[in-house]
Amino acid sequence: MSNIAPVVQNPFRQRFAAFTADRREPDAIARLRREGLDRFASLGWPTRQQEAWRLADLGALAQIDLQRPADALVDAGTLPTLDLPTHQLTFVNGRFAPGLSRLRELPNQALIASLGQALLTHPERIEPHLERLPGLGQHPFAALNTAFWEDGAFVYLPRATVAETPVHLLFHIAGDDIAVYPRLLLVLEDGAQATVVVEYRGKGRYLNAPVAELQLGAGAVLHYHQIQEESSPAFHLGGVRVRQDRDSQANLHLVSFGGQLARTDLEVLLDGEGASCVLNGLILANDQQMGDYHVRVEHAQPRGSSEQLFKSVLDGKARSVFDGMIHVRPHAQKTDARQTNRNLLLSKQAQANANPRLEILADDVKCGHGSTTGFLNPDALFYLRARGIPAAQARTLLVHAFANDSLNRIQLTPLRERLASSLAARLALGSIEEP
Amino acid sequence: MLEIRNLHATVEGREILKGIDLVVRPGETHAIMGPNGSGKSTLANVIAGREGYEVTEGEILFDGKNLLEMAPEIRACEGLFLAFQYPVEIPGVANLYFLKAAVNAVRKYRGEPPVDAMDFWELVHERMELVKMDESMLKRSVNEGFSGGEKKRNEVFQMAVLQPRFAVMDETDSGLDIDALRVVADGVNALRGPERGFLVITHYQRLLDYIVPDHVHVLFNGRIVRSGGKELALELEEQGYALYNEEPGRARRAAA
Repeated sequence: MSNIAPVVQNPFRQRFAAFTADRREPDAIARLRREGLDRFASLGWPTRQQEAWRLADLGALAQIDLQRPADALVDAGTLPTLDLPTHQLTFVNGRFAPGLSRLRELPNQALIASLGQALLTHPERIEPHLERLPGLGQHPFAALNTAFWEDGAFVYLPRATVAETPVHLLFHIAGDDIAVYPRLLLVLEDGAQATVVVEYRGKGRYLNAPVAELQLGAGAVLHYHQIQEESSPAFHLGGVRVRQDRDSQANLHLVSFGGQLARTDLEVLLDGEGASCVLNGLILANDQQMGDYHVRVEHAQPRGSSEQLFKSVLDGKARSVFDGMIHVRPHAQKTDARQTNRNLLLSKQAQANANPRLEILADDVKCGHGSTTGFLNPDALFYLRARGIPAAQARTLLVHAFANDSLNRIQLTPLRERLASSLAARLALGSIEEP
Repeated sequence: MLEIRNLHATVEGREILKGIDLVVRPGETHAIMGPNGSGKSTLANVIAGREGYEVTEGEILFDGKNLLEMAPEIRACEGLFLAFQYPVEIPGVANLYFLKAAVNAVRKYRGEPPVDAMDFWELVHERMELVKMDESMLKRSVNEGFSGGEKKRNEVFQMAVLQPRFAVMDETDSGLDIDALRVVADGVNALRGPERGFLVITHYQRLLDYIVPDHVHVLFNGRIVRSGGKELALELEEQGYALYNEEPGRARRAAA
């Protein structure tokens, strides 16, 4: 363990005592928290000597004396909407904000609620699932989340329940030098179907370290969208773990636009025969921003399929990391696994790091991966200019074409359109309105 | 409308064009023929303003304006059009969106308001018929997955919508079967008129059966070695370029 780790850990230990002192929770949950803290202590604060954190500069974050946030008021008018009926839960600084939330009628036995409240009313539905999924064991911030989460969302759909209305989970943070640990637990029992949009955003210099746990029963279908638009000085160090049973389908869209350092570790375990997942990630980064996806897809059973498409658009001195592992266990025959990483550099100082990896222990599988990094195609630029389109607009068009390939996979139209205009605004390219 | 004077151009330090003189007046269609490597496509690219081509001597005037000082998009806005030999595939940009962006870029340059949506739609439909293009191609990404013939038709379609004053067709016939060739030629012929000039670059005489030129020039080794009427194309068809390959001196004398 590195020398600086204990120094940094001490405040977390002290804060843990204060944090847990007034919490009234089932013993099982209190135990999970202690285990999380112990795991963080043994993992230590990540250093660049660790392979998994080699490219992440956490020095600036380590300098901040991260406090538990105070309550904050947020003007409802500033929060994003989806322009369609949703089950909406809003959390401000990690705490449930009922006034900014709106729940609609749910099918029998289904539950969409704040995790804290659900723990009081339905502990028997939460305890079997919380912190039970494998993965993220080496992720120090996921461990901190387990120790320090205050609240979050619980989405539970019983067997064969189809939630037609999308679930919109909004995590807003306001403040400086604070750390927030939102938690999401989603349980789809056999044959259940849900569409979920998770949005992370805020104002100030803070750490957001969310953890999402997504459990899909046999034949369940999930469309999950995670939109990261944190404030530009913020740190986002999150984790998503997914376990899929037989014939379930997970479509995961991860969009990363904000933050100075934004990383999501995503681990998917295909734990039933014929389970399939589509992982679609997009990073847009500018200036000194860094966007990072660490992905592990674990094929544990036969006939599973996984398709990954991770893209980044980098301007200024921005950097991106894609670290993607496909691991096929010996038993997982007839696996079909694909992984694609494409990076578009808009400046010579931008840098994309790609680390695609395959570990295949079965002999009858189809696996493929590819990674490309490059600048805009000069032939395409010339083609557009030769038709009268000014150079700046031609570049805009091509950048959007590259990113829209990712965004167009999002089926939720209002979300897709909002992201497209957010992308345009962030690129500060202006002229992408209808020509 | 297009005057090329003593044009010399290099690519990666190698001189490809070695003194071209050519004048195209409004309403005229000129054909440039020549074997591979004679400089045909270089000429087209220099006119359109592609990077990587350096003009070392000479000038090109477009309606009296210095073309070589203009950015490629300005040339287009001034009314110049290049039909590409190898149209570029642009995944993620819908054909119709691209075309509207181009039309509006030209209108903006002229100080005109953006095109009315209904007017644009009507124009597009009318021009689609001209090149027998299917409507589904409008929604597809620019040239993506198009066959060779579809790409060339798309070039002529764009030209028909943009209605340039002067068009350079760079080997528009290459890779086309006879039906596609006819469609493309019909499209070009429909646009011919007293105010419009064409420079048709081709390796083969075949295209000139359908787009009958007013003047034919033979480009060889970076120079126009012979000029004549449309019958020159037929002569080349019979004799090939062997004459110039073997004895360029004699060919130049013949041109003189």
